[in-house]
Amino acid sequence: MAMPESIPAPLIIDTYKELFRAERNGARRKDPLGWIISVPDTHQKTVLAALDKERDVKVLTCSTEDEANGVAAGLWMAGEPVIVMIQHAGLYASVNTLRGIAIDGRVPIFYMIGLLSREADKDPLESKHSMVRWCEPLLDVFGVPHARLEGPDDVKLIPEYYRMSRARRGPAALLVGLATS
Amino acid sequence: MELETPVHTTAMKPEDVLKVIAANRGTAICIPTMTTSPSWRTIAPDDLSIGCVGFMGGASTLGLGLALGCPDRRVIVFDGDGSLCMQLGSLPTIAGSGARNLTHLLFRNNVYHTSGAQGTPGGEGMDWVMMAKGAGYKDAFAVRSLAELEEYLPAILTGEGPIFVELHTGLAEKTPMTDRGGVPFPQQVETMRSRLQA
Repeated sequence: MAMPESIPAPLIIDTYKELFRAERNGARRKDPLGWIISVPDTHQKTVLAALDKERDVKVLTCSTEDEANGVAAGLWMAGEPVIVMIQHAGLYASVNTLRGIAIDGRVPIFYMIGLLSREADKDPLESKHSMVRWCEPLLDVFGVPHARLEGPDDVKLIPEYYRMSRARRGPAALLVGLATS
Repeated sequence: MELETPVHTTAMKPEDVLKVIAANRGTAICIPTMTTSPSWRTIAPDDLSIGCVGFMGGASTLGLGLALGCPDRRVIVFDGDGSLCMQLGSLPTIAGSGARNLTHLLFRNNVYHTSGAQGTPGGEGMDWVMMAKGAGYKDAFAVRSLAELEEYLPAILTGEGPIFVELHTGLAEKTPMTDRGGVPFPQQVETMRSRLQA
């Protein structure tokens, strides 16, 4: 197994902005460029900290991941580009809303999910931490397409999975393997 | 047999409240949930409403997303007290968002009517206005009669949000269990998106 690498926050943010610009192309509304709906995640804290300084991208912090799903759905109906950033524990906490809105409701929601406590030398499926170990199987149970962000080369998966969620009218997720830098 | 509930007999009928809102909403998007859903389908059978069905408690944040995405349009959430208890954290989330065009109506009846009228946590002792104010809503107040509703209507429909209004209501005539149906949620979503993109 190749060792995962930390992904620099600016690389993720530039990818978000490029994606949002493409989504906004031709749209009447240009400001903000796009939305990040988050519930704070230790694993992605450098991205969240850097986003706070971004003027083009609007960040809304929610109390719970259930709320993040609802806000993202409303923004999508309004035609706004939106990404949800949460951690694995939040995925577990919000499964019914994921089911009700993104799966049964057929609302496209793209998730960036931090795998806090994932061991760099182990496959997540073999992690000693249940929150890490069960994340992918849980997504599989619900038929949510997912992939791992294991290093800088994988950021290309962000637009791919974002667009996949829109095309399939449902959820899609990327799992952030190591804490971003 | 009559249900024994802590609902005040002098409370407003939710259907009457909905009729007043429907007559005055203009271009506002409305988000009914639970016991307001069946009546609203009849009172306002249009495309600028979306019922929160299948994820109880989600009406407030669904409305918040629409309000943030449509800043030039009023968004009115028809929440229930049992529903709001399920996503109580949405109060500070909404307040913190600063959504100026969001009105959050709470149809308070102190019971989970749909599931058999079990009492809500806190019941009559809950001070929802204080909670909304404490969370940071721009304005929050209670309405106990149709006369008060008419009086406060301009503030409710055009005031700077987020606004929270605790409506003291009785039980609705219908619930999602006694009156199933309506347009499926995915279809409502697509219709709303199409209408807002047009």
